[in-house]
Amino acid sequence: MAYVEFSTISKHFGNSVAVADLDLQIEQGEFFSLLGPSGCGKSTTLRMLAGFVKPTTGTIHVNGRDVTALPPEARDIGIVFQNYAIFPHMTVFDNIAFGLVERKLPRAEIKQKVDAALAEVGMTGFEDRYERELSGGQKQRVALARVLVIEPEILLLDEPLSALDKKMREEMKFWIKNIQRSVGITTIYVTHDQSEALTMSDRIAVMDQGRVLQIGTPVEIYEQPASRFIAEFIGESNLLNGTVKEVDGAVSSIRIGTATVTGRLTQNSSVSKDQDVALLVRPEMIRLHALDADEQPKLTGTVAETIYQGSVVRYRIQIADQDLMVEVANRPDLPRLDMAEEVAVFWDADSGVVMA
Amino acid sequence: MERKIPLPMLVLAILGFCYLLFPILVVVLAGLTTGEFLTFPPKGLSLRWVISFLNSEKYLSAFFFSFKLALMTMVVSTILGTAAALFLARSRFIGRAALRAFFLSPVVLPGVVVGFALYAFFITSGLGISRTIWGLWIGHILYSTPYVIGTVGASLATFDVSLEEAARSLGASPMRAFRKITFPNIAQGIQAGSIFAFIVSFGQFEVSLFLSAPNSEPLPIAMYNSLRYKFEPDAAAAGIFAITLVIASVLLTNRLVNIRRLLERQDG
Repeated sequence: MAYVEFSTISKHFGNSVAVADLDLQIEQGEFFSLLGPSGCGKSTTLRMLAGFVKPTTGTIHVNGRDVTALPPEARDIGIVFQNYAIFPHMTVFDNIAFGLVERKLPRAEIKQKVDAALAEVGMTGFEDRYERELSGGQKQRVALARVLVIEPEILLLDEPLSALDKKMREEMKFWIKNIQRSVGITTIYVTHDQSEALTMSDRIAVMDQGRVLQIGTPVEIYEQPASRFIAEFIGESNLLNGTVKEVDGAVSSIRIGTATVTGRLTQNSSVSKDQDVALLVRPEMIRLHALDADEQPKLTGTVAETIYQGSVVRYRIQIADQDLMVEVANRPDLPRLDMAEEVAVFWDADSGVVMA
Repeated sequence: MERKIPLPMLVLAILGFCYLLFPILVVVLAGLTTGEFLTFPPKGLSLRWVISFLNSEKYLSAFFFSFKLALMTMVVSTILGTAAALFLARSRFIGRAALRAFFLSPVVLPGVVVGFALYAFFITSGLGISRTIWGLWIGHILYSTPYVIGTVGASLATFDVSLEEAARSLGASPMRAFRKITFPNIAQGIQAGSIFAFIVSFGQFEVSLFLSAPNSEPLPIAMYNSLRYKFEPDAAAAGIFAITLVIASVLLTNRLVNIRRLLERQDG
């Protein structure tokens, strides 16, 4: 049995289904993300694990123990909330000491553990502050210290970065990941932000409308999305409409307009000849160069728009009646293209993914 | 920066204040008259009737009876009102709005109706508490509790439930989480509600009229009974003491609340 195991968990609120028949296995020490748009059931899933929401059906096991009916205080799970939930009437010290006081530890030991936790999150010297005297990032650190100090079996993070500004968010992403790695704690992270999930996770479960659509490593989720929804939700994607010309094992030829290109199938998917499909190609996987007279590329297009973004240049390329976004690194060895220029469009055979 | 209030608004505000304060002024000045009768403007100023009040067995006992009744009402209303507000804020069920309206209905219904209904019920039910302090106490609790529900409900509306969840997750039982986290954060609402309950009970008239016993009357009833037979200024003097008590209790609570805020700020 996995360290955390959801078995046929559902949650109904009246007539609406928040989570439907969820099965999840999370391994010890893993950084696991629940990713999806708002209302997809990811927060409800987390709250069921924390013990704030009682599942309608199914069981949850943690470390071999059935916790489904246990109240939150008996679960040994630490949770960091979106708004951090720092107790406003207590100092930072008393906030972090809260769980230890509830466990009736001796005073000296509490002091020692809180000091160590403060040091770990880089907040030494802040013990007498109140919540209103802390910045967003500092609250985040206190909230994490308050949870880690009780050494829970599992760490739950509910959109912990969404209240921070962009620069702080980037910084905290790596900071949280580093802390998690050094503590080695099993972590479940809820987010609607695909870049957070990709950066931090060992594995990601993509959810929509109460169901898990795909579970995989960030590389699998990004490069072999199981559906168009996932492809469009994770990162930026081009979906070119075409028809299947030929199928050869995991590779198939797709006709797009007058051109024929190859794409690979994802696991567990199949297409048949003459089926209408979409071909997923990520903008950064595409290469462009100006068309030579004697060249016969598979795909050609015209530059319809150029967007200069500093580190990258983005082009909108028109192929027949479809648009293709292309992202090119801003490097001296890569030529700049002009508006209305005819260009050859390439990608590696592996980079095109066929979506039914 | 100087705030500028438009002149018409300022005039309106001053008129409003006068309208609210004038009756108090009438009572205070009438109680300080030197004359034999309750008149306004007073005939000269003296402490004659104030001293008369302080020597009056009838008024002093009524004053202390009201004070005791208001304290007893405050304690029960605060507990019941806080519990009701918590229930209304935390549970989700069909008919919650209706239940809230029901809890608040004693304030909306005419006091005479509530007083008469209770009187009729106490008499016919044979509980033996009509015209006793216990029946009166129940009536006052009924009347004061909605104010506690209102103020505690308002402070719960701004209280973030995830604070309580965080406490639970850190190992606190529901009771511990309430005592250590929720209670300190809604304490000001509870405090304001309890002072409201005290003031409402102290000034309650209609319900008291039906439920009080002749030998143990709350102050408003004693004043009313006295004024029915003779128009003497010691009723106004009693009013001065009632007003003073209410103002003092408001100021005291204000002071307590502010002092605590001040202390917190200095700690940090």
